[in-house]
Amino acid sequence: MKIFVIGAGQVGSAIVEALHDEHELTVFDLDPGRLNYLSHRYDIATVEENGASRRVLREAGVAGANLVIACTSRDETNVIAAIFARGLSPSTKTIVRTTDVEYLEVWRERQLDIDFMVSTELETAHAVSRTIGVPAARQTDVFADGQVQIVEFDVEDGAGRPGVIGLPLREAALPENSKVVAIIRGERIVPPRGTESIQPGDRIVVIGSPVAALAWSELLAPRGQRVRDVVIFGGGPAGTAIAELLLTQGISVRVVEVHRERAEDLAEQLHGARVYHATGFDSDFLERERIGRAHAAVFAMRDDAKNLYAATLARSHGVPFTITIVHEAVSARIFEQAGIDVAINPRHVTAEEIVRFAHDPRTQQVAMLEGDRYEILDITVRPESRLVRTPFRELPMTGSVIGAIVRNGEAIFPHGDSMLEPNDRVIVFTESSRVPQVEKAL
Amino acid sequence: MLGVDVLAALNLVGALIKYLSAAFLFPTAVALGYGESPWPFVIAGVATAAAGFGLEAVTRGKERVGVREGFLVVVLLWLLAAASGALPYLLSGEDQLSNPVDAYFESMSGFTTTGASVLTDFEALNHSLAMWRQFSCWVGGMGIIVLALAVLPRLRVGGRQMFETEAPGPEVERLTVTIRDAARRFLVLYFGITAAETVVLTLLGWTGIDDRMGPYEALAHSFATVATAGFSTQARSFEDFGAATQWTVAVFMVIAGTNFALMYRAILFRRFRLFARDEEYRLYVVLLGLGSAVLLVELWTSDILAGEAAVRHAVFNAVSTMTTTGFASADFNQWTTLTWVTLVALMFFGASAGSTSGSVKVVRHLLVGKILRRELDQAVHPEIVAAVRLNRERVDEAAVRAVTVFILLYIGFFAVGAFALVLDAARVDLAATAFELIAASASTLGNVGPAFGFAGPMGSYEPFPDVSMLIFTALMFVGRIELIPVVVLFTRSYWRV
Repeated sequence: MKIFVIGAGQVGSAIVEALHDEHELTVFDLDPGRLNYLSHRYDIATVEENGASRRVLREAGVAGANLVIACTSRDETNVIAAIFARGLSPSTKTIVRTTDVEYLEVWRERQLDIDFMVSTELETAHAVSRTIGVPAARQTDVFADGQVQIVEFDVEDGAGRPGVIGLPLREAALPENSKVVAIIRGERIVPPRGTESIQPGDRIVVIGSPVAALAWSELLAPRGQRVRDVVIFGGGPAGTAIAELLLTQGISVRVVEVHRERAEDLAEQLHGARVYHATGFDSDFLERERIGRAHAAVFAMRDDAKNLYAATLARSHGVPFTITIVHEAVSARIFEQAGIDVAINPRHVTAEEIVRFAHDPRTQQVAMLEGDRYEILDITVRPESRLVRTPFRELPMTGSVIGAIVRNGEAIFPHGDSMLEPNDRVIVFTESSRVPQVEKAL
Repeated sequence: MLGVDVLAALNLVGALIKYLSAAFLFPTAVALGYGESPWPFVIAGVATAAAGFGLEAVTRGKERVGVREGFLVVVLLWLLAAASGALPYLLSGEDQLSNPVDAYFESMSGFTTTGASVLTDFEALNHSLAMWRQFSCWVGGMGIIVLALAVLPRLRVGGRQMFETEAPGPEVERLTVTIRDAARRFLVLYFGITAAETVVLTLLGWTGIDDRMGPYEALAHSFATVATAGFSTQARSFEDFGAATQWTVAVFMVIAGTNFALMYRAILFRRFRLFARDEEYRLYVVLLGLGSAVLLVELWTSDILAGEAAVRHAVFNAVSTMTTTGFASADFNQWTTLTWVTLVALMFFGASAGSTSGSVKVVRHLLVGKILRRELDQAVHPEIVAAVRLNRERVDEAAVRAVTVFILLYIGFFAVGAFALVLDAARVDLAATAFELIAASASTLGNVGPAFGFAGPMGSYEPFPDVSMLIFTALMFVGRIELIPVVVLFTRSYWRV
């Protein structure tokens, strides 16, 4: 594939490192030093200009690119670059890195014409969530005011309750009000027929209610003792995103923040978390609040050295599992040598997710087999449709799955004897080649 | 240098009070309709208009009326309105109201929607004067709705900025509306509820379900219900009306004690789930239920009442007391000590903020509970930072302080009032127990009305000496305008630049 990477910072560099072997890369940055460094190590083209410029993109030949990755440290630059790229070349896929949760929400509501958006904070939070053994849903789309969610899960090795993984889907005990609409295995999409099963290493796409999404996350948690009580040191953007994600998983969260005003903001923003205005270096505080009894502690302060010191102190108070966020590339190794259980680099995590998307069959197929893509449709059922008032179990089996029905503003998750009513809205997961047929049938 | 533009404030008071003269048209019409003398109302109306225009003409402010002048305007307006409302009582030549202190008390009781009365012989009043009493409640209630929902929040009184302006749930955009818009919306509701109750009560009379209920009684009692006032044209309040009437009025009292802003939104967006989601409304209903339940169990187990009558009287009187209306369906003087204590406790709750009800109001109790819980949490965990939330929204710390201060002042006024009443009663050797006097202080400060003993639901405040009557008048007034505007006027910082 021909890929444009806009921004050659830590994220951009990690992406280049991961993708340079198989793909043809063009990297944009305003800093000649960064570009030089990359072009000496890898075989890539470089453009020393602003990637968020229409002229630059056109001259660099964006029309021939399959994928544009905008991953500078500035959200607006990234969004603008992606919008220009889409304008110049509608068939090019776009990925935007953002730090702003609001952009992410707007994108999920399909108000931003971007194919994939990655938030550094959210990726970090997901990484933390995975590390402590609670795989969180990746929400990619919402419908009907959030009543219907399209969520994706990574199925890790050794994950999952008995009775699900490896069993044929029709025999597996799956959460109510949800439907597996696709299984992504390596470079392929496997249609979820009743005989198919979920395997470790798969990524699965599920349509379901928010409650069902939570049930799935429980289901895919590795066996063993669950982490129920986490202390987060540092209430910056990363700490906040981690706290919010863990709270949605029903984990008890305590946040320790050193700045008074920030602590007050957090107390307002984080519903259900306990917020302390204190520092992680205060042994008395740790003792008094019994921090040592927490199941895990996350260190998300801005300074690597502080994180290391606080984590070491927390360990000495008895915290059994410590996770630190590191910002310098070298820190991760040192931290793990120093006894920190896991060190997470937000930029690496972001780059990994972007690379994953670049390798995702749903992206690759643009370049390869045009007819094999999948789409999620949101259609209103015409009264004269043949499918109206036919029980689901009698509908013909095709490659399309009706994941949810929205009737009078309420979401319904269909089972065998459900029927479509005229003017229902349906959320359908279907192959792109079948889109015209699906539209015609409904 | 004076920091308050007194002349500008007076000018505005004049401009507003002249509109009050229009209120006298209604009793004038009633008088003409029943062939009674309209002159007390005509003279009072002309006097009020003259005072208003006069005040407006002789005063001219240097500056625009701002927040500071607002306190003075609110205080003066209420005092003058009560004075103007007392004129018909004095001019009517009715013996029971010929003492100016008594007439002012009665008028203040009406305009503050309290419902405490000096009358003993209700038959002696003619139709128009009796209707004026009821109508003054309704006009007062209208003033309170505007004051509570549109004016006081701007003056940041008692934390009102937080829980009464347009700061609803997350689904409504946070618009601040002009006083005029807010007032218009809520008055539409106010008129609507009054009309609905009048129609229902009239129908009960018409269909013969309650033959004591004529259109006159229906309108008179609807005025007093919607304003949560509690004046009645009957000496024995609701005792002689039928069961259906009592149930109907109980329902309308609950409605009148609901936050008008909440009601307006629920009706406007047709989302009645908003009620279930509102923390204050939920607690309001729970407290009403709890109060009724205690009364019911006590009435039943003490063999005072049984069956439907026990349920009805327990609910009616609990609702009436907690919404600070002050109607009575039975003489609870005859009940037990536990019921009295329960009723006094209900007097301290009041109904929802943003209604015509008086007293502390449920939302402040709710917030104080939350503030207390946070303080206790911080005692154990000194580093904890927590937000006080109402309906999931953070309550800002200024409002938290204001609510605490309000409750403190409320208790202060109640205690001082009670002490003063006990002293005055001892001075003239009045036949009232300390509990009765304490209850009377709570009842007038909370704008409820009836207390116990001779000032009980079927009784009258008539035996009290003039000094006590002035104390009651002051308590009703201060309680009605939420204490702080009055207290502020007694601080040096208010008057200084």
